[in-house]
Amino acid sequence: MRLAKYGDGDFIQRIIHHKFHGFVHSTFNRTLNIQCLDSGDLYTIACKGIDNAPNTLIIDLDSFEEADVVVNDNVSSDHSILTIANKMSITLDGAMKWNCVLPIYPAETDVLKMNVFTMKQYINLHGNNSRFERAFKSGNPFDDEMSKMLNERTQLLVLELQNKRMSTAITHATSLIGLGPGLTPAGDDFLVGLFTVFNIENNRYFSHKSFCEEVVLHAKPLTNDISYMALAKAAVGLVRESISDLMEALFRGSEEELKLSLRRVLAIGSTSGTDIALGIVAGLEMNM
Amino acid sequence: MTVQVLVKPNTYIDSVSLMSLSTKANQIEIVEQAIIAMGTEMNKEVIRNVGLMTPEVESAKTSDLVIIVKAASEELCEGAFESINELLTKKKDSSKGKSEVKYSTITSAVNGIPEANLAIIAVNGSYAPREARKALENNLHVMLFSDNVSIEDEIQLKTLAQEKGLLMMGPDCGTAIIGNVALCFANAVRKGNIGIVGASGTGSQEVTVRIHEFGGGITQLIGTGGRDLSEEVGGIMMLAGIKALEEDDATKVIVLVSKPPAPSVEEKVLAQIKQCKKPVVVWFVGGNEEKVTQAGGHFAKMSKEAALKAVLLAGADESKLNKRALNLPLIEEVRAKLNPEQKYIRGLFSGGTLCDEAMHIAMEKFDNVYSNIQREPEYRLKDVRVSQDHTFIDFGDDQFTQGKPHPMIDPSTRIERFIQEAKDPSVGVIVMDFVLGFGAHEDPVGAMLPAIIEAKQVAEEEGRHLEVIGYILGTELDSQNIEGQINKLLASGATHASSSQNAGLLAREFVVKGE
Repeated sequence: MRLAKYGDGDFIQRIIHHKFHGFVHSTFNRTLNIQCLDSGDLYTIACKGIDNAPNTLIIDLDSFEEADVVVNDNVSSDHSILTIANKMSITLDGAMKWNCVLPIYPAETDVLKMNVFTMKQYINLHGNNSRFERAFKSGNPFDDEMSKMLNERTQLLVLELQNKRMSTAITHATSLIGLGPGLTPAGDDFLVGLFTVFNIENNRYFSHKSFCEEVVLHAKPLTNDISYMALAKAAVGLVRESISDLMEALFRGSEEELKLSLRRVLAIGSTSGTDIALGIVAGLEMNM
Repeated sequence: MTVQVLVKPNTYIDSVSLMSLSTKANQIEIVEQAIIAMGTEMNKEVIRNVGLMTPEVESAKTSDLVIIVKAASEELCEGAFESINELLTKKKDSSKGKSEVKYSTITSAVNGIPEANLAIIAVNGSYAPREARKALENNLHVMLFSDNVSIEDEIQLKTLAQEKGLLMMGPDCGTAIIGNVALCFANAVRKGNIGIVGASGTGSQEVTVRIHEFGGGITQLIGTGGRDLSEEVGGIMMLAGIKALEEDDATKVIVLVSKPPAPSVEEKVLAQIKQCKKPVVVWFVGGNEEKVTQAGGHFAKMSKEAALKAVLLAGADESKLNKRALNLPLIEEVRAKLNPEQKYIRGLFSGGTLCDEAMHIAMEKFDNVYSNIQREPEYRLKDVRVSQDHTFIDFGDDQFTQGKPHPMIDPSTRIERFIQEAKDPSVGVIVMDFVLGFGAHEDPVGAMLPAIIEAKQVAEEEGRHLEVIGYILGTELDSQNIEGQINKLLASGATHASSSQNAGLLAREFVVKGE
């Protein structure tokens, strides 16, 4: 029996108070994605060391490599026990609940302005080979074209948002979804960062946050299920703990605290963290 | 040219593996271009824009992995798919570990292999101290590959190791040879009677390779991690390493490799050398000869010199050694080819200490030597992307490796920079290292070759001679075939340097004017 150590509060409630029926959607060394048969939503079982996230349960396991769980294995729940095809049982007794709460935009923005400047410099030096950053430099035609399109489209999106032309902004945002070779395409990651800022209370664009949900309405056929879930959650202000921590550090943290939080975000995926961070910077700069 | 497509339905590969797969696919010799991406509409648009759209790609779904190969013929495309599939299968096989038992925790490994006495730890820096502590508490020596470990944790771990009489190599230790087994990044070298304690990875590799070339051999190479000789850590592991080698009957001569230690640590190290019953050769890049000599040590200013002194102290006959002197006629020849404005050296290194050594050699003759690893703040590059006067870049430094493989594995960043530097009309010489051995790229020279050939051609068309120096750190026992690597380098028109020391000296002498 495995122990769930932490988990998204809503996910824990769903398992304990309702019967959960689903199947394994995809498996990785350190995460399993489960598709819920009732809602179609994806939920994640993650190993130790991965940060809290929407729809995610962190369990006391280092790796799934030896768990023998395969795609399409049945998943069901009985009270506080989640079972994966008789191969793994996870008890939720004692699991600490986590819910994403984004901080409020600060009234005084001096610290924020300084931190955004520091963050941009840090990304520049330590960013993880982002497709945005390496525009036209790789010598590989596919990579170069991809970088070019990402740059052009993000610039157009930001311009339209700055001018509050929301309908054309939706078109440009939609043109980013699914753009990027990886599991979570760079365009999607950028939007996750941007959506995070839109969902910060008291920011200049908070009244326009329905923009995010409208973009997500177009997203389903344009990207894969895993990335879609991240976009859908970010659109309503639900993001990974490392991202909400970064927002807090940006608003009120010292340079050291900012860099500590930023490093955790930059470590997401191979390039995803950097692309998310660039989306956050774009969103915050629109506010300044 | 033919374009062939393979669509793998419902295939999710994490981004790290996908990037690595894509890089390797594009390095397959017969492949003109390879694209591996999820089949989203937007990715299809990119594929359309680069002229590689096919009906198969058009019909791929967002959850499908699309592999596109462009090669000279259908047969070659098929061959490339086979290679890519092999890479995919190899990944699966290695993760399953067919004939090996895989343990998920140190405790289970200790229970499963009670005779084990060493753990190599390569996990995220946040978790590394905890795992290292567990290993030490289980009486295992530790090689801690992970970086981003706090200095406080390093001190605690090394103190614990010291109390238990264990080695705690690292953090950020990437090179060791223990009991004739190379760990992480190291070269295949002969077993012998020279022991090394090294606070720098490629510096230690270079010394082992030169010792091997001079006919000597290695007992142990103990890595300490780069911060060991700092004021805070106090050289705990270098002192422990010297002691261990002194007590090792097979070791006749000890070599110490490091950047200059903190003054108080240097005193401790020199005091231990004074008491050591075995001869100790000291190569501290930029180090002080007088202090070492006073302590009874054998000072080496450069890497080859350190290896040479070690083999001579270990009993080699100097008259039989080929010391590979500098090619003086070549220096005159290259000087004559360079235009007056071609004044500068650009060093593009994958090995930190190799970079440091070449930089120090240049600093002996020039004041304007800049680097991302310069200790003088005035000469530290303000923007690592922009070179200034004589510039030496360590691509293995954190600024270039966050979230990316080390340049000894993935040469792409260095290739981009090489192309940039080659266009600069003020550049006379570009000097580079190519590191072979365990853990290194299969064909480092091959990966750089097209860029060298093209850059030299472009320079020639512009009326410049671009001098490229390549140094290949490796032995004939390394799997990459050093002879083949040298031949490739020479075929590109580059100059082959026979050691790290000679690479630095040649680069410097080529651009020295009027001497």
